[in-house]
Amino acid sequence: MSTAESTTALLDVRGIGISFGGLKAVQDFSIALPPRGLYGLIGPNGAGKTTAFNLLTGVYTTQTGMTTLAGKRIETLKPHQIAAAGIARTFQNIRLFGELSVLDNVKLACHLRGKHTLLGTLLRSPRFVAQEEAMRLQAMELLSIFGLERVADESARNLPYGDQRRLEICRALATQPKVLLLDEPAAGMNPTEKVELAESIRAIRDRFGLAILLIEHDMGLVMKICERITVLDHGQTICSGTPSQVQNDPKVIEAYLGVEETAEGVVGGAV
Amino acid sequence: MKTLAQHQQDVPGKVATRWDVMLLPWVACIVVALVVHFASPVLVNEYWQNVLRRVGVFVIAAVSLNIVNGYAGQFSMGHAGFMAVGAYVAGATTYYGSLLLHGSVNDPNFYYQGIGLMLGGIGLGCVVAAIAGYLVGLPSLRLRGDYLAIVTLGFGEIIRVMLELTKGQLDNAAAVKDAGAKLLIHLNGPSGFFGIPSYANLFWIFLFVSVTCLIAYRIKYSSTGRALLSIREDEIAARSMGVDLTKYKVRAFVLAAALGGVAGGLYSHIGANPSPTDAGFQRSFDVILLVVLGGLGSISGSVLAAIVLILLPEVLREAQQYRLIIFALLLIIMMIVRPKGLFGVKEIWELDWFTGWFSGKRRERKAGAK
Repeated sequence: MSTAESTTALLDVRGIGISFGGLKAVQDFSIALPPRGLYGLIGPNGAGKTTAFNLLTGVYTTQTGMTTLAGKRIETLKPHQIAAAGIARTFQNIRLFGELSVLDNVKLACHLRGKHTLLGTLLRSPRFVAQEEAMRLQAMELLSIFGLERVADESARNLPYGDQRRLEICRALATQPKVLLLDEPAAGMNPTEKVELAESIRAIRDRFGLAILLIEHDMGLVMKICERITVLDHGQTICSGTPSQVQNDPKVIEAYLGVEETAEGVVGGAV
Repeated sequence: MKTLAQHQQDVPGKVATRWDVMLLPWVACIVVALVVHFASPVLVNEYWQNVLRRVGVFVIAAVSLNIVNGYAGQFSMGHAGFMAVGAYVAGATTYYGSLLLHGSVNDPNFYYQGIGLMLGGIGLGCVVAAIAGYLVGLPSLRLRGDYLAIVTLGFGEIIRVMLELTKGQLDNAAAVKDAGAKLLIHLNGPSGFFGIPSYANLFWIFLFVSVTCLIAYRIKYSSTGRALLSIREDEIAARSMGVDLTKYKVRAFVLAAALGGVAGGLYSHIGANPSPTDAGFQRSFDVILLVVLGGLGSISGSVLAAIVLILLPEVLREAQQYRLIIFALLLIIMMIVRPKGLFGVKEIWELDWFTGWFSGKRRERKAGAK
């Protein structure tokens, strides 16, 4: 990692890791995500990608290394403090607030940037009323960007799958993040939807001026939109570089396809 | 894309300071209380008025417990403990206060001062219960659900045992003056505190009922309420969206304990002598039953469940001894027919009645048929 890269990085992760008993789930994970960067994180199942996200968002506390966001150390903060610092995420297995309406799901996320006193709530103070209205306006604006304003009063649970995925992104954006972590946003989508999703991820980055880190299994999608890709396998970073570099890296090929025996001998690492 | 702060700058032009929004509901609470107070003597006899006062107390208990068990989804099993704290604090304030200031209890000449003592006692009981809630909640709400249930269950039992160990009640002003701070241990042990004047008439009961419902309503439909509901729905997602779990859980717990204390304070002023068993598990379970049957998170559900389940034993007097069997059956049937309680998380006015009542079920059936 060059010094120029590390000083300009918005999210600077250096050597974080966690073990669960003897299992080294993620080890020495580093990434330097610049402002407006769109990076990818790939790897076979169980490689530790989601664990890396959980480390970044404070669901797990890292046992090594450090994380800085815009120059501020965040690795010891609790999840809600990290959200306040400016990292928002979506979940691999959708975690919406099912009983709440679509609008309330987004309003809940707007919550983070407001002030909430018990007295103001009970008295319905002018500031409280104004803030609730502001949250509604902001939530509706976000919902309309994603074409969800029609279903604003529907329970989140009742939305079709694709809309639920969109609502998760919408909700994450409502926290006004600097960095957005997307955990397999294309899971369960058909090829047409995936193309649309690729476009909208880029559009989100440009419109909101965010840095995005993306976990995805769909290679086509990752290779198409990500500027740099980090590959994890068994908790280790085995490769990091531009899509073309990654595609041609023998370790990556080995991780995904196994060792290939050719006329010249064994390609890749140890058997 | 605007930030929340920018949106907020646009708003004041649209939302002027709404004094009507702020104040009218509080006025409405007083009106409700007055209406109940003056209408019920015309409509029902004294016996049923007493039943109505009991209903009111349990409405407050259920609605307050709903804030923590329903909104926040944290299973507290010690609500009776907080109610008992409120009941004893308020009851002792009125009883010993009257002895101290007037020399006798329940003297008609001392009526208005007595009411003042009752209100002061209820306020004090509310504060003490809230402090107890904070002390119990802060360590235990960091734990997972089952532990909270055990800790709160233990809290109720501790209160019960402590009350059983208290000494006999004092009955004259001189003894009260002598006792000073030691009054706290003169709560009459297992036989329960008696002789508290029943100052809580229907006006006071229903004033507190409507204020409690208003508080519960305003919490539910606010950012705080959404935060609590999000915790109940999915803790991991909630904290990733910036909800401080411990802060909001403790808030809900303290608020529920405080209002539970109010319910207790009123309970000791309706002629029901508070006794240690009122702090025990059985009473906590009674209140949980109301909340679960009404629907976890539904204010109107809790209110309706409290009304029905307190009135039911009165109506079915002959079946009194089978009360618990009937309740258990009711619970089983409810869990089969409407597992989320009568109204679920919704309020009665949010259901589109005839089409909506079983629509969830119907939709499932249709989906199954396909």
